[in-house]
Amino acid sequence: MSTQDRTGNSESNPNVTILAFDTSTAAFAAAIVRDGVRLDATISFTERNHSVKLLSEIKELLGRNGLQGKDLDAIAVGQGPGSYTGVRIAVTAAKTLAWTWGKPLIGVSSLEALALGAWSELRENGTDVAELGERAWIVPLMDARRGQVYTSRYLVDRTGSWERADGDGIRLIEDWSKQLGHQAASADGKGSPSVWFVGEIGATQQTAIEQAQLETDVRLRTLACEMSAVAVGQLAGIRYRQGERDDVHGFVPNYTQLAEAEAKLLAVSRGE
Amino acid sequence: MSETTNTAASPSDHIENQELPDSGYLLLAIETSCDETSVAVVRNGREVLSNIISSQIDTHRQFGGVVPEIASRKHVESMTLIIEEALREAQVELPDIDGIAVTQGPGLIGALLVGVVAAKSLAMALDVPLIGTHHIAGHIYANHLVGDILYPAIALVVSGGHTEIVLLESEGKFRMIGRTRDDAVGEAYDKVARALRFPYPGGPYVDRLAQEATEEVVLPRSWLEPDSYDFSFSGLKSAVLAEINRSRMKGETPEFSALARGFQQSVIDVVTGKAIKAAKEFGARQMLLCGGVAANKGLRTKLTELCAEVGLPLLIPPNKLCTDNAAMIAAAADMKWRRKQFSSLDLKAEAVMSLEEWSV
Repeated sequence: MSTQDRTGNSESNPNVTILAFDTSTAAFAAAIVRDGVRLDATISFTERNHSVKLLSEIKELLGRNGLQGKDLDAIAVGQGPGSYTGVRIAVTAAKTLAWTWGKPLIGVSSLEALALGAWSELRENGTDVAELGERAWIVPLMDARRGQVYTSRYLVDRTGSWERADGDGIRLIEDWSKQLGHQAASADGKGSPSVWFVGEIGATQQTAIEQAQLETDVRLRTLACEMSAVAVGQLAGIRYRQGERDDVHGFVPNYTQLAEAEAKLLAVSRGE
Repeated sequence: MSETTNTAASPSDHIENQELPDSGYLLLAIETSCDETSVAVVRNGREVLSNIISSQIDTHRQFGGVVPEIASRKHVESMTLIIEEALREAQVELPDIDGIAVTQGPGLIGALLVGVVAAKSLAMALDVPLIGTHHIAGHIYANHLVGDILYPAIALVVSGGHTEIVLLESEGKFRMIGRTRDDAVGEAYDKVARALRFPYPGGPYVDRLAQEATEEVVLPRSWLEPDSYDFSFSGLKSAVLAEINRSRMKGETPEFSALARGFQQSVIDVVTGKAIKAAKEFGARQMLLCGGVAANKGLRTKLTELCAEVGLPLLIPPNKLCTDNAAMIAAAADMKWRRKQFSSLDLKAEAVMSLEEWSV
């Protein structure tokens, strides 16, 4: 499937306008995406507490594009993983707006949006993502503290294909970067893929990736970048075209792990 | 410098031009400050059309108390469902709603955030005013759902997180006269209940055991300074634990029911004694009892007796309006609604929030 198809450009269907937003990281990112293309977007870091400005920013974004709730085809939201409180803010707003306006709700992985946004950024900058080879791995990272990251892995190639290889999870960045370094070096077929770690690349992540680089011949590259609400909207657009909808009442964040108290209780019940 | 005080002075533009409907107005209120997800629809500030309360108590019981992260997760799970249920039970539609009220604080911040974001989303999507509301003002004004309030009034607020004596000089003017310096009454009850081996939340068990007791282990009263309306319950709680340990050391079974009665009598003497004293000092024309612990039979009985003795009218809401609920939030928000003191969409949830500054 080509990127054009995947991002929803299709002549046979009428315009699909999606309000998309994400608060799983330090950024509050919101966008209006029409048929897979950015109509407008906003991103802010002024308040760590995204709950304060979220609704007035969305109102402003809709207003300056002459849009009202009734003009939207769907509400798209980053479902996480990420900051528990952060993810809850966007998910609660998305559920409530979708329910109040009677619009479909479409959740997408915040990690996938981060990865897709990075890939788009690289291609817009003219970077040869696959560089010398045919394929590349896009590995989104979000700091989950204590040496951990929320992460996943996507396969991309020069034809524009986009494929999930590893699902969302929480991993130790030290182990994860080494594992991917080895895995890429031993990849069979069309030669070793380029490996791109993208997203929240802080000192901890940078150090771990540099350490992993010492153990592999495959270049491990990094791109520090922010959450892309446009990517949230594009991914949701694909699901929308495929007729997928999330249940507004039942929709919850993807925390990827139990709350600490639940994990402890489970350990006790197992006799650990 | 609470958010509400700031925004009340400058209501947002689209709101100022709206006229209050003549035929009555509907407020939809949301309360998520702790472990209840509650949504209510209230007409004209006093007529409760629906008051849905989804308790998470069964979830938290296994942890022996409310786990904030889990409370927040549960609120997200049930939020829109409870809103829908509140509208259905009230037999009204979304476009009928004239304003949104929400608990802004105090409470568990992660839990408050879910309600605040849902309320702001509703207010924006429906283009109606938003009113950030103080949780304790809600408990106090639950009384306005059951009767008229005569000012000045003294409110005795007793709950799991609060023990306060509040003076209301006039409608919506709050003055904090006394507060707990350590545990809240409900907290002390739960801790004593745990020592007496009752499951969480154990307050009601202690109340029942105290009612049934034939003996009483007399425990100290913590009056603090003669002129103070503050409370302290940690010493009393320690006295109960010490009594239990003393019995066990001697190889005896502790006198659980006598201890429960002793504890309850001490708490009730102090809170009712101070409330009556405050009523006299400030010339109150009415006493208001509120908060989750207002369901305590011993407390209700004693306060009723004391108020009758001094000829002071007493209001106590029914139990459903004493524990955390959204109807009480609408009742308090109504004072601001009538004064057009609305909050901006940038309303911020506050774990700690001044009641006095929230005054109309």
